[in-house]
Order: sequence, then structure tokens, then C-alpha cells
Amino acid sequence: MTEIFSVFLLILLVITAGAAIRTTNLFVAVMLMGIFSLLIAINFFLLDAADVALTEAAVGAGISTVLFLGALAFMNEQEREQAPKRLAGLISVSITALIIAYATFDKPAFGDPNAPAHQDLAPWFLETTQSAVDIPNVITAILGSFRGYDTLGEVFVVLTAAIGVLFLLDTPSAGNMLKRDEGLRHYLIPRMVGRLLIPFILLFGLYIQFHGEYGPGGGFQAGALVAASMILYALLEGQDRALEVLPQRVLTFLMAFGALLFGGVGVIGILNGANFLDYSVLSSDPVAGQQIGIILIEAGVGFTVTGVLLSIFHAFVARGRTQ
Amino acid sequence: MIFVVVAAAIAVTMALALARAILGPSHYDRILAVNMFGTKTVLLLAVMAFMMGRPDFLDLALAYALINFIGILAVLEFFRDKAPKVERPKDV
Repeated sequence: MTEIFSVFLLILLVITAGAAIRTTNLFVAVMLMGIFSLLIAINFFLLDAADVALTEAAVGAGISTVLFLGALAFMNEQEREQAPKRLAGLISVSITALIIAYATFDKPAFGDPNAPAHQDLAPWFLETTQSAVDIPNVITAILGSFRGYDTLGEVFVVLTAAIGVLFLLDTPSAGNMLKRDEGLRHYLIPRMVGRLLIPFILLFGLYIQFHGEYGPGGGFQAGALVAASMILYALLEGQDRALEVLPQRVLTFLMAFGALLFGGVGVIGILNGANFLDYSVLSSDPVAGQQIGIILIEAGVGFTVTGVLLSIFHAFVARGRTQ
Repeated sequence: MIFVVVAAAIAVTMALALARAILGPSHYDRILAVNMFGTKTVLLLAVMAFMMGRPDFLDLALAYALINFIGILAVLEFFRDKAPKVERPKDV
């Protein structure tokens, strides 16, 4: 039954993507990308990938729309007319699509239990999680412990990307602003509703952070949700007030501290005579050590993601204000 | 069974909202369509979670319900700042 819905939503997805490409108005494209993100998240959900769907929910629906609009604020809304070189593009895309479609014939069928992906590491992960880490959500065990190197890499990629963005756009400082940003302070209804919402988003973010071992969630999603609550505050009360609550130097510190915490947990493993990012030695009981390690690195991921998303948001808003 | 009927109805509503978002014609039609699409997503996720027998996945619907509002506020603030500076599109 879910397959029918999946296919229907995938058709809508293709229509949305096509419309987003065809439109020449960038604002319309941003709106359509919002719908695209909602659609892809439902599809992730229907494929039982709740962790990925939650990330898409936290980042795609809220924050990327805000960042797109922040970028659009100092650009022209209308795309420039482009010289039509459509035929060559159409031919090359068609050939690539045919090759990819041909390659999919060799892939195992959807949901095939004999597919190589289900034969190699997956059974080992499912068996070992219970005895070695003892948490119900296998995905968190894989992400935090078995594949800790990959997650560490991701955190540093996020940090590097933020450093790059902050080099291009100046970090906001009080001196170069033209006027005080009032936000939506004079609009009573959004302000009241938003104020009611902020504590719940923060609470939900903390729940996602600490419940990641039991249900979908973890540091990435929680960091995005916490950042979203601060972005909501900045939209309602103005950027200046938001920067008074969480100044840029705190955000910069959070960014670096999260990555350092993650790396530091790995180094503690080496100092205790184990491998890098082996949490078993963090406690006398290896299983408890694994759990402590996962909690610490998830906290590190959460700090970094919060700091990075908020820094980028503030940089975009500040750029829009100084121009 | 009831979940399937409800999910199908929501899916059709989503298709209609998508049509409005693509056709426009004014920006406000599109904002409203995106907002409605977000609401329908929350509903569909909730119904699907029960249909698949995984009510713990309601977390996701909750996340959307909380986040959706932020995007719409950002759009409205964008329009308040941007509207006087940019020439209005022809179709508004």
C-alpha cells in the first residue's frame, strides 16, 4: 500500500523539480524547493528512514528556506535571460539518463532481502549493537560508534563549510549596521504565536538530542532544531536582540568546541590504550563506555551544528542589512 | 482501511496545493500553497505513521509542525523588506 503513495509522491516530486528549474523567478524557485523538501522527507519516511527524514524536516523545511531568502534579499529576484543552448544539453542529459536507467536493471529489486547491502555488514550491525552498545536505535550505534570516523569527518566538513562562508560574508558586528533591526516586533499576532512556540522547539530539540538512542534523532537534527528556535527569535525580535542573547563569539566558540569535543573523545581512547574513537575504554564497563562516548559525541555534533547554522544565518542577515 | 482513505484524500489535496504553487499567479498564492502543503505533510506523516504501525514516528510530524511556521515568517519578513525596492512582477 505504501508503495502506491511512494510512487504518487515521487511523481509530484518530479513535477516540482521540473517547475523549479523552469521558472525564471527565484522567489518561486525557493517556494518550490520548500515543497520539494517536504515531499522528499515523506518519501524517506515511507522507506523507514526516519532519521534521514527528521534531518530533512529540521534543515530542509525551515532553515534552508530562511537561508535561501537571506541570499535572495541582496539579489535580483528575476533570473537573467540565457542564450538557448538547449539541444546539446538535452542530448547529453538524455544519454546519461539512458545509461543510468540501463545500469539500474542490474540492481536487486526493491526490498529484496538477498541484496548485497543486506548480506554484508547489516546483519553484523544488527547483532553486535545489542551486545556491544545495548541501545535500541541501531542507526545511532552505527553513526556514533561503528562508523564514528565518518561522523567525525562530517562534523569537520560542516565546520569547514561554515569557515568558508564566514570568510566570504563578514561576521555581524554592531559597528557596520545601518539601523537597528526591528524584526517583526510591531506585528502582534506572529510575535505572540512565535513566542509561545520558541520554548517548545527548544524542548523538542533537547528531546531529539537525548532521545537519539531510543528513537529517530541525534546531534545533527537537534542542532538544527535549536538553531531554528533562535532563528525564529531573530525573525521576531530582530537580529540585534538575537545577537545579545547568543553573541557571535559564543557561536564561533560552539562551532569549534563541538568538533574539538568529538575529536577529544577519540584522543581519550588512544590515551587509554585503545584505538581512536573506541569508546569502550571510557568506563570500566565497555557497554557503558560506548554509551557515554555516543552521548558525548552527539553533544559535540549538536554544538557544532547549532553554531554553524546560526553563524551562517546571522552572516546572511547582516550582509543584507549593510548593503 | 480508514487510514488508507484518509491518506489518499490528503495526497489529492497535496497535488492540488502543488498545482496552485506552480500556477501562481501571484506570490501570495504560492506562499499560501506552500503553507498548506506543509500542513498536509504533517497530517500525512501522522496518518502514515499509524498506517505503518509505527506511532513512534510521530516525532517527525511534530518536528514539521514546529518548524513550518519559521519558513512562512521568513517569507513574510522578506516581503516586508523587499517589496518597495524591487519592481513588482508583471503577473501580480
